[in-house]
Amino acid sequence: MDTSASDTLIRTNLDFLRRHAPFDRMETEALRFLGERLATAFYPAEAEILIPEDGPPRFFYIVYRGKVQARQVGSVSVTEYSTLTLGPGEGFPIGAISAGRPSTNGYIAVEDSYCFQLPAADFLKLQELSPTFQLFCTRYIASLLNQSREQLQVQFSQRAAEQQTMTTSLSNLVKKAPVFVGPELATRSALERMVEAGVGCLAVAGEDEKPVGVLTQSDILKRIVLPGFDLTRPIAEVMTTPPHTLNASASAYDAALEMATHGVRHILVVDTDDKLKGVISERDLFALQRIGLRQIRSGIESAADVQALQRASRDIRQLALNLLAQGIGAEQLTQFISALNDALTRRIIELNLNRHDLYGVEYAWLAFGSEGRHEQTLSTDQDNGILYILPEWADKEPLKLRLLEFAKDVNNDLAACGFPLCEGNIMASNPELCLTFDEWREKFGTWIREPHPEALLNATIFFDYRVLYGDEKLAHKLRHWLLSMTGGNPAFLKAMATNALDVSPPLGKIRDFVTDDDARHPGTIDLKKFGARLFVDAARVLSLRTGVDATSTVQRLRQGGSRIGMPAEELAAMADGFHFIQLLRLRHQHLDTDHGSSGDNRVKPDDLNELDRRILKEAFRQARKIQLRLKLDYQI
Amino acid sequence: MNWLSRLLPGSNPALDPEQRAALDAIIALPPPDLARSHYETRYVVINAETGPMDGGGQRLLAVGAVAINQGLLHPADAYRAQLGSAPVDAMIGLVRFIARSPVVVFNAPFNQGTLERALEQNLGSAPDLDWIDLMVLMPSLFPERTTGQARMDAWLGAFGIDRLDHRDALLEALCVAQLLQVALARANAQGLASPRDLLDTQSSRKWLRGS
Repeated sequence: MDTSASDTLIRTNLDFLRRHAPFDRMETEALRFLGERLATAFYPAEAEILIPEDGPPRFFYIVYRGKVQARQVGSVSVTEYSTLTLGPGEGFPIGAISAGRPSTNGYIAVEDSYCFQLPAADFLKLQELSPTFQLFCTRYIASLLNQSREQLQVQFSQRAAEQQTMTTSLSNLVKKAPVFVGPELATRSALERMVEAGVGCLAVAGEDEKPVGVLTQSDILKRIVLPGFDLTRPIAEVMTTPPHTLNASASAYDAALEMATHGVRHILVVDTDDKLKGVISERDLFALQRIGLRQIRSGIESAADVQALQRASRDIRQLALNLLAQGIGAEQLTQFISALNDALTRRIIELNLNRHDLYGVEYAWLAFGSEGRHEQTLSTDQDNGILYILPEWADKEPLKLRLLEFAKDVNNDLAACGFPLCEGNIMASNPELCLTFDEWREKFGTWIREPHPEALLNATIFFDYRVLYGDEKLAHKLRHWLLSMTGGNPAFLKAMATNALDVSPPLGKIRDFVTDDDARHPGTIDLKKFGARLFVDAARVLSLRTGVDATSTVQRLRQGGSRIGMPAEELAAMADGFHFIQLLRLRHQHLDTDHGSSGDNRVKPDDLNELDRRILKEAFRQARKIQLRLKLDYQI
Repeated sequence: MNWLSRLLPGSNPALDPEQRAALDAIIALPPPDLARSHYETRYVVINAETGPMDGGGQRLLAVGAVAINQGLLHPADAYRAQLGSAPVDAMIGLVRFIARSPVVVFNAPFNQGTLERALEQNLGSAPDLDWIDLMVLMPSLFPERTTGQARMDAWLGAFGIDRLDHRDALLEALCVAQLLQVALARANAQGLASPRDLLDTQSSRKWLRGS
């Protein structure tokens, strides 16, 4: 190669790059590295530059001259834009090439265009060489996260809106095709049909689908059972006629008014041709009423009994659904859930204190595990304990007994309010977990001195404690002591780190994800065990090492990470990764289980949209990154 | 007779052994397969920089060359030389850079003429190369744009190609190379998929024009 000629051409490349972000801020050496490796290709208008079918992209492209359009491919929309035009200086496909997976978009030249192309391996090398470029790419991927959130918002906002306003039209409220029979049908068959469809209201319509009558459950008793009506006779003889109908364009408010005026519980919805479109019940309208944060909170605080708190608990779930639907992030959402659950638990404790006299006893009600970290999802069972001080005047046994009785009632009330009793008996009513300050210290101390597997497992649950009710100072003193014990104990920290590295992120070498080989859940990933836990465990080690008081994973990462000199951007990317996994868990538990099946943490990557898959992969990469840091720090 | 054999030992005593060896290495290269597609072909785009000669006419002062290899222009694949005091080395360097690839110029009568004269003068003979002239080819590829031959400026303007410095042979070659990329994309769309097709189109065009 002729160096003077190459230099001239490289300089023309550099002159161009220096005029565009992020290359204008890029380190000299990295820029030179890039300039030397850019080949120029020409694409006439309408030419495909990159399509998903090409597989993982071989090149990173920078538009040199002309216009390139990113177009969504396939029927499922994965970003909020359907097309996006890229001009000179803009690069693509950052997400796909970083993740080593096919692009979601097709990239097409909309006019005659020249593009620089950089081999994929050099793109990755450039990220290593240039912190500026790496930050740029990280931010870009973070913006994909926002897009995913916004997309969620779009996806569910309609649903949320329907749930929140009485001005919604009935056509939006009708969910199911109507169940109806012809007027000549024998009453027995009609009733069978009702049972079969599980409806409380049966519409009767002619062959033209125009409703002629209606029969509700309450009619059955009065008109059929008690009078001994002959079930072989046609339904038309016992139905209410004419039925109450409203046009599908009428509002929920109109329906409520109609029901109130005529004292009926069902309205038949018809289209402009008077054909039956569906049935709206009183209950459908109740569901529209909006539940607000403040309302729930004051409901909890003024609750007089467990029944009132049970309602509040249901409201919390409904609110979480609404917030999720409004596209709120995982961090804020878990904070809301956590704050309301805290309030609920406190109220339960207060109500029980009316029956259990603990006056003058210094104690704290502790939450452990995810609750201790403010990271509860919706299918978390209770993990709690009591920390108390034995006064000089008291005998230990009777006091402890009183505390245990009290704890048992609180545990049961919590269970009644939707926090299942802990299978592992990690509950305050367990005598092992209702301990004095010295006993807790002894317990923690033993685990730290002899970090056998069970001790380490305990540490991962109990060291994340937090006070929900009672004496905060007591708990703080314990925390202070704990951190002084762990901070200067490399052997224990190494054991915790080894424990944290027990599970690796489910990233495949060939496939994107390694899914569970459990035959009962094929193709799924347990996002708790193989996702959130990786961050949580690593962050805990970090906090114990650097003496961070906070129990939340993100706070531990941010504070602990900066104490050992990890760059803020890197930590922010890790926090984003963790939040995304939490968001997926919440979404899965909440939205996918809206119809009553119990929530779990198993997500099928194949069911996720392309963008979410991509971000999930990036989140796992972040988990790998923090694990790598642990490995290096503790020589594991 | 193959042009390379004219460069065989004995044919030009002015070359020293090192220069001789350099030319021998080129003789050993297989000839390009002109029937392969553009995207399997390496084209070499050359631009000649000239100055007035004593007694009239133009003589070659410098040469710039850029390759389009498999459709791509890569900064590592470029050549530039001033003839100056070592014109033989400059010409050998050029021949080595061309490496028997089809050569592309804009305005062959000028560029090809000047270059062949310089090669003959310095190496004893001008190599037989496949010359493609974009000035001839562009109007047949883009009949909608012009009815006859147009100046290079017009073509560069039509495709938004910046002319960075028309006094620099290499940067001029860069412009022509970008023009060639446009030409290759269009040729492909018209079913002219190989260098052979371009050469055939060019000769029929020349014939039609009576040149």
